[in-house]
This record gives sequence, structure tokens and C-alpha cells, in this order.
Amino acid sequence: MSQLGPEKNIYQPHLVEIIKVIPETWDTKTFHIQFQDAAVQESFSFLSGQFGEYSVFGEGEATFCISSSPTRLDHLEFSVKRIGRVTHALHQLNQGDLIGFRGPYGNHFPLDKLKGKNLLFVGGGIGLAPLRSLIHNVLDNRLDYREITILYGARSPQDLCFKYDLETWSRNPTVKMITTVDVGDKDWKGQVGLVPNILEEVGPSADGAVAITCGPPIMIRYALRSMEKLGFTPSQVWTTLEMKMKCGLGKCGRCNIGPLYVCKDGPVFSLAEIQSFLSDEF
Amino acid sequence: MYRKISKENLRKWLGELKARAAILAPAKERGLWSYREFGLQDFPLRFRNSRLPPKGLFLDPLRALFAWKSSGGSVQLTPLPPLNGQRILIGLKPCDARALRILEPIFTRDYPDVFFLDNLSRTLRLGQACSVLCTGSFCLEMGIDPQESADFDIFFREIPAGYLARVLTDQGRTFTEGDFFAEASAGEWDLARREMPEKKEKPLFRLERVPAGVAQSFPDKNFWERVSAKCINCGICTYLCPTCHCFDLGDLQMPGQGVRFRCWDSCAFPGFTKMAGHNPREEKWRRYRQRVSHKFNFFYQSFQSIACVGCGRCVVHCPVNLDLREVLVEVAR
Repeated sequence: MSQLGPEKNIYQPHLVEIIKVIPETWDTKTFHIQFQDAAVQESFSFLSGQFGEYSVFGEGEATFCISSSPTRLDHLEFSVKRIGRVTHALHQLNQGDLIGFRGPYGNHFPLDKLKGKNLLFVGGGIGLAPLRSLIHNVLDNRLDYREITILYGARSPQDLCFKYDLETWSRNPTVKMITTVDVGDKDWKGQVGLVPNILEEVGPSADGAVAITCGPPIMIRYALRSMEKLGFTPSQVWTTLEMKMKCGLGKCGRCNIGPLYVCKDGPVFSLAEIQSFLSDEF
Repeated sequence: MYRKISKENLRKWLGELKARAAILAPAKERGLWSYREFGLQDFPLRFRNSRLPPKGLFLDPLRALFAWKSSGGSVQLTPLPPLNGQRILIGLKPCDARALRILEPIFTRDYPDVFFLDNLSRTLRLGQACSVLCTGSFCLEMGIDPQESADFDIFFREIPAGYLARVLTDQGRTFTEGDFFAEASAGEWDLARREMPEKKEKPLFRLERVPAGVAQSFPDKNFWERVSAKCINCGICTYLCPTCHCFDLGDLQMPGQGVRFRCWDSCAFPGFTKMAGHNPREEKWRRYRQRVSHKFNFFYQSFQSIACVGCGRCVVHCPVNLDLREVLVEVAR
């Protein structure tokens, strides 16, 4: 893993330039960034599932997963829902603006455990961001995997993120793509219904399959129940855990859950691992 | 290796060291003990322990990490180096010295934190054996010996003629090579040991039962609600704790420039884990449970040491008299 941070100061980010801003929904934008230092850009690598700490100087730092794929390294992508101080500041920025980036941090999706398997991706809302990195990753090495099913849902058609990806994947004959919304509108032609319900309707087999899920906690909770009904065992299900982070380095103490620091030991866990330490807090 | 030094020579020795290093020693100011620049004044008497732990000399309460300047769309980052210069910390107590040892692996593992580690390596740690047990303390229960410690460069015991010194590191050895010190024996060292006058017949709780006891109590909501009922979330227990190390990162913005800083934070505050959509520790009992569990169970699982030294600061200075010892007694039953 490349360990970044100019000099020996682990808290100092690299400068990155915003090269593109894509409005995803009314409150979510995707940013494409490139390191200002070409040598850093050249040597940078990461794995799907890892995250970064992004700085808007003067406003602070916030944690987002890297939503692009390590198989497409000419730039990095991350997606931001406008909620707090740093995310508001990010949404004000344009192409050409400079921000800070530290990373990559955390563990990653276990590609070795996914190879040769049927893959089921279940995403909700902005939770598609970390899955998207992995989906692009496996599609770029398509022959290593068997059937790929992507189930993605959002509250309404206006809340669907990465519509350009959804379109590409639905046109891909090697991918089974299902898009659903909780509430449709007159132009909506996809499914209508909650992700866990649609998941049970579609009913993918758990045989030789691995499920990877990310989304709002309530969706994850019920999607996990549906997967259990479909026969998925806890070691066949992977998810990324959300917890408040600041340093990303396993020091500031914030993301501690049980004996783990989510930033260092996660954010990717199998359901089997999570069940061993997750408490009534989640 | 043991050495001894007279009170007069100690003063001369420190006077000589002062030319080479910054000496920090306990000083009483406005009724509060703290570690301050030593001016060769009379050696502090009746020093039990400092109000604030010495952790702030290593993990600064506020530390600027890097600076930026921005103009016309360009941004320039300047690393702010850790502080340097040899320091000698004297009068340090065995509990606080152990606390520094407990903190070290957090700042060493995976991503070494130069700000903390440089402060450690530039500080010679000179300790002094305690002559009394501090009010509220439970160091004995936590396995700390107020009269013996290997967590220093040099550890001193007072004797009528001056001090006996147990030299524990190579650096300590170089500093005690001069003529101010005389040879001493292990026998002399043992004779200088004092028993704590207030030592209880029986320990309050058995430490080896604590980690498992805390783990077992974790799902017991009623227990945590009861023991944290009077907590007012002021965070003073974490502020005064020699092992609490959670921190925040923030920005100080001025026109065209600014600094990213790190400052102490506290798991007692509701905002500590507040995220975009939810807060896993919105309720007070969850936060209190987290503090106790982190110190006595999670930290133990990660580092095989308990993140508490029994100094008693949190017990004595809690504004509502929430006594951690009572919680530990209960879980270790």
C-alpha cells in the first residue's frame, strides 16, 4: 500500500486539483481529482473499498470513499452528499479549484474471495459509491467473475446517483441490472419498491455467490435479512461500515467500535466479522 | 545500576543540565501543581501530583500541523515541524510515566506520529517515588508501584542524605556519569523503599477481573444508565486523564492563509461521533460505557495494556462525584 503524506507529517495532505464536477442529484456531486504533483499521481495506487481524507482548506477535512476504480488510475473520483460544513464547502467548488487529499486508508474488498464467484451488489442512495469502485474493478476484469447482479435503489428517480453508470451497466449483456425507487414518477420505467423487497423478488441464488452491500443503515439492516432468507451465510456477505472518522490513521479514537478502529481495521467487513463485535450501537 | 546524590549536588547537577536542556519540574502556582520551567528554586516539597497530567507535554492540547497560503487559485502547503530541543522532566510520578508508555504504541503503530514521538524522544524522564497515596487514587489496584518503576530514564527515592537513583536507560546513564553522583548498591535502594502509609489491607477490586467484567457488563443497559446517571458530560475526566488521547482536527482560517490544528477531544461530548445521518452514541450512558469499555476492555484487547493508571484525577475532580472506582468494583465482582 502506498503510504502518502509529504515529509513525515502524516496529517499533511497532498494538493489535488478538481478536474471535473458532476452533479448527481439535487444534493450530491461527484468530483474528479488529480494530484498536482505528477510524480505523486504516477506512483499513487489504492484498492476498491479504501477511503481518503479530503480537505477544503479553512473549512476542515472529511472522509469519503474513493468511488472510482483502481483499474482506471488517471484520476480519482469521490462523491459527496451536501450535509455538513465540509460537504457544503465542497459543493461550492468548481473545476480548477485545489483541495487536499490524504490516503488511501483502510482495508479493501477481498477481490481474491470474489474471483470465480457470482457477485450480487446491493446498493442504496449514495451507498453505491464504494460499490461502484468495486463494480468497475470487476467489470474491467470481467473474465475473473461469473454472473454479476446489481440491485440499486433510491428514494425517487431524482435521487438516483451515477445515472451514467446505471445506463452503461444496464446495456452490458454480462450484467443483470435492476434499478428501483421507493416512489416513482410519470416518467419512471424501472422497478418501484424498497431494495430488500425487490431483492427477495429477484431472488438471486446464494450458491457460489458473494453479496456486497452498502447504503443507508436501515436499508442494510433489512437487505441483510433478505439475504439470509435467500440462503446467504454471514461469511458470504460483505459491507462497508460507517463511523465518524477524523484522522483515518487509527489514532484519534473516534471510530472505535469494540476492539476495532473502523478507519484502520475496516471499513470493509464480512457480516461474520461484524456479528462478532457489533453491539446495540448499530 | 544505582547511584546516589546529595541534595546540594542535585541542585548543582540540575544547574549544569539547565545549560544543555530545558528542565521542567513541578511548581505550585495559585494553588495548582503543574510542570514548569525549573528556575533552580527550592526543590518542590510535598508534591503529590500535578493537576493536569504531563500528557500535554507530549500530546499538545493544541498543535498546529501544517499551514497553507492561498492566492489567485494557487495553494501552498508548509509543513510545521515538531518542536525540538532536549528536555528534562523531573519529579514525574510512576502513574504518569506508565501512562506515557501506554500511549506510545498508539502513536507508533502503522503511521508514526512525529509530533508525539519527537516529544517523547527529546525528553529525559526523571521520576520520583511517591511518599503518600493521592486522594482518590487506585494506582495499587492498577498494578502501579508508587515506589518502583521501570518507566523512567532515572528513578529517584528520597533518603535523609539526598537521593538514591536507579538508572534505567543508556541515556539516563550518560546523564549520571559526572562527579555529582556516587556509586550505590541494590541493597541501599531496597532499604530506601517506603511503604505507603494509607495502603489498604485489601485491594478495592481485582484487576485481572476487570477486562472480562467490563465486557460482560457491556450489553447491560440498566447498569450503564445507573452508573452514568449523574454524569453531566463535562469531559473533565478525559481532560485530566493521563491516558485519554482522543483528538480532533480543525482549521484556523485567516484571510489568504490558515493552519490545520489538532486539539484534545472527548468521548463524553455528544458531537464526538455525530455523523451525517445518525449518532451511535447520542445517549449519555452509551458514551460513558464507551469510555470505560475503551479503557478497560477494547484497549486491553488491542494493546494488552489497560488505558488507566489509577491516578485518581477523574475521581477527585469530577464535579458530580462520579467515582470510576465504584464502577470497577461492581464489574469485577
